[in-house]
Amino acid sequence: MTSKIAIVIGQLLFVMALAPLLSGVIKKTKASFQTRQGPGFLQVYRDIYKWFHKDSVISEHTSWIFIVTPYIYFSALFVAALLIPTFTTVQPLGFAGDVIAVIYLFALGRFFMSLAGLDAGSAFGGMASSREAAVSSVIEPAMMLAIFSVALVVGSTNLGIISETFSSEIVFNLSHILAFMAMAVVTVAETGRIPVDNPDTHLELTMVHEGMLLEYSGKELALMMWGASIKQLLVYSLLVNVFFPIGIANNFDFISILIGLLSFISKVFFVGIIVAVIETSFVKMRFFKIPDLLAGAFMLGLLSLVSNYVLGR
Amino acid sequence: MIKNNEQQKLIEQLNEKFGSDIEVLTKVCSEIIFKISLNQVQDICLFMKENLGFDLISMIGNDEREVEGHFAIYYIFACYRRKYPVVLKAFVEEDKPEFPSITLLIPAAHWYEREIRDMLGIEPIGHPDTRRLVHHSDWPVGLFPLRRDFDPQQVVPRYSGEDQFQRVKGHGIVNIPVGPIHAGIIEPGHFRFSAVGENVINLEAQLFYTHRGLEKQCQDQSVEKALFVSERICAACSLSHSTAYCQAVEKIAGIQAPERARFIRTVALELERLYNHIGDVGNICAGAGFSFGVMHGARLKEEIMKLNEAIFGSRFLRGINIPGGVRWDLETRKKKIILEVLGSVEKDFREVAEIILSNDSYLDRVETTGKLLHKTAYDLHAVGPAARAAGIDQDCRRDLPYAAYDQIKFVIPTYTEGDVLDRINIRVDEIYESIGIIRQALEKMQEGLIRVELKQLPAYQVAVGIVESPRGEIVHFLMTGPNNTVYRYMVRSASYCNWPALLTTVPGNIVPDFPLINKSFELCYACLDR
Repeated sequence: MTSKIAIVIGQLLFVMALAPLLSGVIKKTKASFQTRQGPGFLQVYRDIYKWFHKDSVISEHTSWIFIVTPYIYFSALFVAALLIPTFTTVQPLGFAGDVIAVIYLFALGRFFMSLAGLDAGSAFGGMASSREAAVSSVIEPAMMLAIFSVALVVGSTNLGIISETFSSEIVFNLSHILAFMAMAVVTVAETGRIPVDNPDTHLELTMVHEGMLLEYSGKELALMMWGASIKQLLVYSLLVNVFFPIGIANNFDFISILIGLLSFISKVFFVGIIVAVIETSFVKMRFFKIPDLLAGAFMLGLLSLVSNYVLGR
Repeated sequence: MIKNNEQQKLIEQLNEKFGSDIEVLTKVCSEIIFKISLNQVQDICLFMKENLGFDLISMIGNDEREVEGHFAIYYIFACYRRKYPVVLKAFVEEDKPEFPSITLLIPAAHWYEREIRDMLGIEPIGHPDTRRLVHHSDWPVGLFPLRRDFDPQQVVPRYSGEDQFQRVKGHGIVNIPVGPIHAGIIEPGHFRFSAVGENVINLEAQLFYTHRGLEKQCQDQSVEKALFVSERICAACSLSHSTAYCQAVEKIAGIQAPERARFIRTVALELERLYNHIGDVGNICAGAGFSFGVMHGARLKEEIMKLNEAIFGSRFLRGINIPGGVRWDLETRKKKIILEVLGSVEKDFREVAEIILSNDSYLDRVETTGKLLHKTAYDLHAVGPAARAAGIDQDCRRDLPYAAYDQIKFVIPTYTEGDVLDRINIRVDEIYESIGIIRQALEKMQEGLIRVELKQLPAYQVAVGIVESPRGEIVHFLMTGPNNTVYRYMVRSASYCNWPALLTTVPGNIVPDFPLINKSFELCYACLDR
């Protein structure tokens, strides 16, 4: 029991510590594709450290929502980190929630973030909030369908059990592939990457996720940015551990945990590099075409679900 | 000369039509200056445009009370077919400072007339827009900075006032204020979007935030000193501005820069166009988040700017021009460096342009976005790449030749759609043309003088310098005072004409497309805020 708790705490700290590095690696990869040197891998940590040591400037027009949002957002992701398997299939709170809880924890953070965007009354925040609401209303169903079609095969919506089921062999059938494609599109959209959103832009008029953060500074900004990178890592973990959980640790001996760690890290960083490639070779879509892309992901998820029944397992 | 016969015919035509209301005042080089009576302004201007094929390219208000006891309004027309400009001058009495507005007849006059009202307090009677343009609501009423009795040293009291945007009202209409401070390191400008959801219904801009009073500053300065001001109007087009200024001075002096100097100007002007266009093609990609294009555009632009520094000692090509010629010669060694760098930049740029223009997701963003209609471009006298992308076949290098462009073969590309893609295409084509022009100019350049002395200039003489800057036609109006000084200097930049044109292209698009459209025009705030 003690070792279980230790591993649980270890996994949580691991996710929180690794997340900024993943963002740093994506940034560095993008820079190298653009023939730039780019900031170092550790720059995201330095930024977060810097913001934690700065005072916040808070608009006098804001209400309590603006102040509590960073904490709600961060805690929602903190809890989600306990529900999503990373390098072991053991989730501490597995009894308390499943993939539906994860999706709604993401939604909770996003809901408050949208409110905070509106709260300060600036034009950009409001615009970004309305865009975020529009985009997320098509992301969520696509994400649910993709994961449900896998959950259907396993017979459980518990992410630990899903990972455990697929951890021994690579599943390669139509339903699984379709669901994976849907989830891949959702991953890009959910983490606010090109072609859906551009995390590097300074053009307020085009912002979605960044627009809602414009009014934040200091510690609150640090929490939001750190939260965003944790969310990115969690979404990548969902993708790799639901579809390719090979190597994940099913028990607690040292060797399997080591293998689990190494395979997890290499998998999420591989996803990160793929995302960097996509970000370099595509441009941001016209805003009104984003629902088309996500509707495509939704259809893939639906087809996956249907093919489960038509073609069997 | 054919031109003289042609001009004689024009003078006869105008005299026949308007009789004593129009008379030739003087002739400076190829341009004729007419004096017209104030009450005939509308008819004469309309006749110039509709019947004679002249376009209004600038309008200047001038305080000439100490010279002739009245204000004056200058109308500068140019005919691209006949290849020369014409200046009309109307007198406005001091005790009745008003003149008939021609905006309803020639829409291109709309900003000039508002500026004259703000800066000189001469009222354009019948102008449809009574709001201020250059002055914001904090500037006191009845204080006119370009009147000669305005002391630029005085501290002007500021007032608080209501901004004067048009209000779009209705259910679901959102007003989005953007600026004047922006997130990027750019100049200040306030944009007011009226939108339903993401769809823009109306866009207005309040510009002129950083008025530097350059024109006022040049008053009574020597023509040599004013040159330095002209170079600093705008960084990106500083050589075009100094060339236009020098051409105006040279016209008044009755001299022409030596041929070698004109070739050197041509080379430098095309280098300026190159670094601007290459940088722009890359920077437009930023509007769509296409970082590959942005980075490579910036890299190649830097190559050219380094070349500028190696050849002319200034990344922004300052310090090259001087009235009467140039200050830097191009030795064979420098020619070789230019050709080398051009070769490698051309090769790289071809690759970059091919990648950018074959990226489907990028083309999807730029096609049909931000269309400038041909009619709008014509009416508002849009200039430069933006106008040529909308099908207006007009380029001062060919149509009002200066420097050595009359001795060089080049093509003026035009497109018809007027969308962001065409504005990119125009620039890509012009980059290859510019490289060709530089190669020809370097080859045809003969040995010789690079500068002639400037002698005493006649006082109170007027001339116009016109140059095709990277952003389009710029018009410098210069009136000399006694002892080689500047009496009045007015700069009409390319951005001055294209800002109003840009605003018409945004409604119908969605809010997040504005940065892309804005970048495709690549307008300059500094040129505006002289």
